[in-house]
Order: sequence, then C-alpha cells, then structure tokens
Amino acid sequence: MSEMKDLVEYIAKSLADEPALVNVSEIEGENSVILELRVGPEDMGRIIGRGGRTANAMRTLVRVLAAKQGKRVTLEIV
Amino acid sequence: MDQPKRTEIFSGEEIEDAIAAGLSAMGLTRDQVTVEVLDEGSRGILGIGSKPARVRLLPIPRPDPTPPPVASVATIEPVAELQPEPPAGEETPDVTAVAREMMAELLKRLGFDAEVEVSQAERAPDEDTAPIILDVYGAGVDELIGRKGDTLAALQEITRLMMGKRLGQRTNLIVDVEGYKQRRERNLRSLARRMAEQAAQTGRRAYLEPMSPYERRIIHLELREHPDVETISVGDGPRRRVTIVPKT
Repeated sequence: MSEMKDLVEYIAKSLADEPALVNVSEIEGENSVILELRVGPEDMGRIIGRGGRTANAMRTLVRVLAAKQGKRVTLEIV
Repeated sequence: MDQPKRTEIFSGEEIEDAIAAGLSAMGLTRDQVTVEVLDEGSRGILGIGSKPARVRLLPIPRPDPTPPPVASVATIEPVAELQPEPPAGEETPDVTAVAREMMAELLKRLGFDAEVEVSQAERAPDEDTAPIILDVYGAGVDELIGRKGDTLAALQEITRLMMGKRLGQRTNLIVDVEGYKQRRERNLRSLARRMAEQAAQTGRRAYLEPMSPYERRIIHLELREHPDVETISVGDGPRRRVTIVPKT
C-alpha cells in the first residue's frame, strides 16, 4: 500500500465514527497521484470539517509525503 | 497499549451509547470494565444545548469475573475528582501518554523518524486549562513547518481532532517543530513592541503583516497593557492583520 494512501486512511479512520466505512483508492499517474477518500454518510461532515478545514489539513499533510516522492497529489472526498 | 490500567473516555447520545462505544473500541465486555459517568449529557430543547453523555472506562485488570469493589460511580457533575489517577496537574498523565503515542504514529506515517517532547505550557489568562505542547524533533522535520507555518497548522489541526475523537473531549494542545512557534512568538512580541513605540511616537497607525489568528493573538496579548496604544484586527480571512492605533 502506498504511503500516501496509508496516511489518508489512517487519519480518516481515526476521525470517523464508522472507520469500517472508510475507503481510499489511489489512481497513480507518472507525476501525479489522485486519492479518492470515501467515508460513511454520517462521517462526511466531520471529515470535511467546517469550511473544508479538516479536508484541507489532510491535503496539506499528504502533500508532505508527495513532495518527498516528487509528485503532485490531489485528495478528493467523494 | 498493553498497560491494563489505561482509562479511556467515550461519549455518546446517552450513557448506554457511550458505554457501548467504549466497549467496542476497547474490545471488552461490560463485566470487564469499571464505568464512571463523567457527564450524563442532556437532550437540550429541540436539540439546542444538547450535550453528549461521557463515561470513563477502566479495564479491570484481573481475569476473574468478580465485580470490582466500586462497580460504578454515577454522578451528575462532570468533575475532575472522579479520576482515579493522581490529580496533580490539570491534565492527567493519560492525556499526555495518548498525545505522545498518537503524534509518534502520525509522524511515522508522514515518513519522519522523529522524537516528541511533551510539556505543559503556561496557562493564558483567558484559558481554563494549560495547553499541552508537543514539540517534534528529528532529521528533516522542518519540512513539517511549511510556508508561513501552514503545514504545522495542518498537523496541529489533525492532531487535535484525533485527540478529541479518542478522548471524547476537546484537548487544548499545541504542536510545535523544534521550538519554531516559540521562536516565532518571541519575534512577534518584539515586533509588537517596536511597532507600538513607532505608532506612539508618530501618532499614526501601524499596520502589521497579515497573520494567523494564533499569531494575531500573540500581538494583542503583548500590547494589551501598553499605555499608549490599542490594537485591533482589520480585514477578512487570510488578509486579516493587526493594526496598532495610538491612544489620543
């Protein structure tokens, strides 16, 4: 499992009321990675946060890993 | 994780929900824990002012199913005296241990081999509890600061949320990287004093750079008792900046 996917999954599961419903899929391009995060409907608001605060914090952190690998990463909550 | 004495706090709509959540999170059954009700919660009126129930679960260390001497302590007051652990500080040792463990795990997943130093900050005049400071040390950790500290802010945000979720209550904690915030705070304080002198002498407003709420707060606090100036924040969102106004 890729480190980026692993990180997002770890954070989302730690924050979710229903960790079992957390799922991350990864679409890898040559220089970029798209992560799609799915959570249970009850957890949607919590994971996105007020004004997208939590989602943005997760994006910032996953970018630290992406930078190490010289890649661009996009995190989408779907 | 293998200390049997660790207590954990859980919340739920009603006491039974909180207990059930805790038991499933800890993988225990009802007769393997001592339950303390920290807060019975309330429904509020039409959901306004409703508070979740909070319980603390203490695993019973013995393998035999004999109930413990104090099976449950029920109370309406969400008081700190209920804690079986030494009440020395404002935070129990548990909170510190959980914070350290969680931070270490997160750092590992971020690809850093780093140490976490835990300390207690001074309590600001308007705070109920002194914040816990988690200071991160190690090779390459300055990558965790980011431009204008925005990576650090994200790290703190996520850590706070994870702690809050784990403990069932808000935790006042500050994440720092190799004392970055402390240095930044010193610089901001001296900047504040310089700009205040300037404003007082020229009789004109001094405008500081746009800053985060945390940083603006440092400036406001530093100049709160200054005899010659007042401070206000002007502007919206990321453009919000402290303005130092000379008293007339």
